[in-house]
Amino acid sequence: MKKVSKETLIIATRKLMMEMSDEEYDKLTSDFETITMQMDLIKDIKGVDDVEPMTFPFEITNDFLRDDVVEETITKEDALKNSKRKNGDYIVLPRVVK
Amino acid sequence: MDYKRMTLLDLHKAITDKEVAPFDLVKYAIELAKQDKNNAFEYICEKEAFEKVKTLDENKKDNLLYGVPVVIKDNYSTKDIPTTASSKILEGYVPIFDAEVVSRLENEGAILIGKTTMDELAMGGSGTNGHLGAAYNPWDKSHKHMIGGSSSGSAAAVSAGIVPISIGSDTGDSVRKPASYAGLVGFKPTWGRISRYGLLPFACSLDHVAYFTRNVFDSAYLLNVLAGRDNKDMSSSFNKVEDYTSRLDDSLKGKRIAVIKEINASISDKVVLNAFNKTVEYLTSQGAIVDYVSIDSKILKSIYPTYIIISSAEATSNYANLDGVKFGNMIDGDSYADLVIKTRTEGISEYAKRRLVIGSFSLLKDNREELFVRAQKCRRVIVNSISKVLEQYDVIYNPASPSIAPFIKSTKNKIADEYLIADNYMAYANMGGFPSITFPIGFEKNMPFGANLSAKPFDEALLLNIANQIEKFTGLANIIAGDDDGI
Repeated sequence: MKKVSKETLIIATRKLMMEMSDEEYDKLTSDFETITMQMDLIKDIKGVDDVEPMTFPFEITNDFLRDDVVEETITKEDALKNSKRKNGDYIVLPRVVK
Repeated sequence: MDYKRMTLLDLHKAITDKEVAPFDLVKYAIELAKQDKNNAFEYICEKEAFEKVKTLDENKKDNLLYGVPVVIKDNYSTKDIPTTASSKILEGYVPIFDAEVVSRLENEGAILIGKTTMDELAMGGSGTNGHLGAAYNPWDKSHKHMIGGSSSGSAAAVSAGIVPISIGSDTGDSVRKPASYAGLVGFKPTWGRISRYGLLPFACSLDHVAYFTRNVFDSAYLLNVLAGRDNKDMSSSFNKVEDYTSRLDDSLKGKRIAVIKEINASISDKVVLNAFNKTVEYLTSQGAIVDYVSIDSKILKSIYPTYIIISSAEATSNYANLDGVKFGNMIDGDSYADLVIKTRTEGISEYAKRRLVIGSFSLLKDNREELFVRAQKCRRVIVNSISKVLEQYDVIYNPASPSIAPFIKSTKNKIADEYLIADNYMAYANMGGFPSITFPIGFEKNMPFGANLSAKPFDEALLLNIANQIEKFTGLANIIAGDDDGI
């Protein structure tokens, strides 16, 4: 596996909408050194390139449509219950147009 | 009445014989929970439990769970009860609905008395990185040995005798590993066997509902209660639910058991290997056919990195909703983006952040093929290798961990065979959805260690049968840590 640069890690972190300190990046770089070594240990496993990626443990199919009946949905009160800042029926966020 | 060691059958008899009333049982369990010294609890549901127990439906009194106190990991949604997944970002979150597992337990008459601590957002295997700090192993009063995770508090609560059963979740080995360290039965049924509705998703293709008990019968009974299709979880199975207690006493004669040689070869602890070998001798003496089979050690070594890449990548997507806006601990900002960045930066701690960045990195366009897709291909090779063994054998059997619980401060060589194979192989059962159970087989320095059995998908009854027979041989059912003051 190629060398992992701090710049790339910063890009990966920003994509997650979060930030990390220099100290956290140092630990992360060390994590990647370990993962790189672990991935290098396994790079020549026979047959890996001959199989399809596996996305779930086994195939399951749900080939039916549910009945077309109205189901209970959550109330407005419940939907707003866990928002920390709200005003009436709205969740309050910072102004977009200032 | 020695509540702490009682099985579900014992408790049921005590309640039926009016030796104890459910209210008193719940009250006693809550008292024990309050005295907990192992940091097992996020929240003790005292008020809620007393209300529930007072309104118990007597028509349900024939159920073994009627009036029985239980606890659940804090990554299950519980209506009107705080749910944090041991993360600062979810502090203050109170779900508006119950997870299906919670509903099924309560329908049986079980009483939820607490939510348990865990590794933050279920990411971790040590039980040390939740927002309330480390959970401790009740077998070690000096608090030096870990309990393991991520279902740390649920393991500690059963091991200390506070409750007879607890619910955890298992994405890599998060119930089956702490079960080994805590002297418990830890059971992860087949992927889809139990509804995951209301379980905070971490890595959907690997996440399983799993649980702790102190004996195999209780595990089988609990599966009777929890198994079955749930229309609210589209990955839950339509397969028929059996009576999982009905085959526990079947003979071992002719049962085909595979021991993967390379897993045992990576273990250096002779006490663990000797105890394991004694159980193999017993199985053979009872007419089981035990063969040592081989799997390429490179494939076994790939399990851990494959797991880390896939689970971390899936977590980036599942935890993208943790923005503090609709729920959770919002931190104000100058703009919407600034608010989300601040909320996530302050709300998610270092270890979980690092896991998420590993996932994000492996999904970047330049790395996707080399990391994420390669890990998904590795997963298929791993599962094919295990399935090939299970075509010839009923179960695969190996020690569940290479040693007793490690020290919390210990560091391991992360490219050594023991770490990559013996310490982390059990994630193969998550990758293939195989039912998998850990149970105690011995002690070293007064600390327990366990072994693990895995079977073909939906072969739970057979798996439980073999586990039950080994439990009869070891006599290590219903063990709890320490004395009465060891809570």
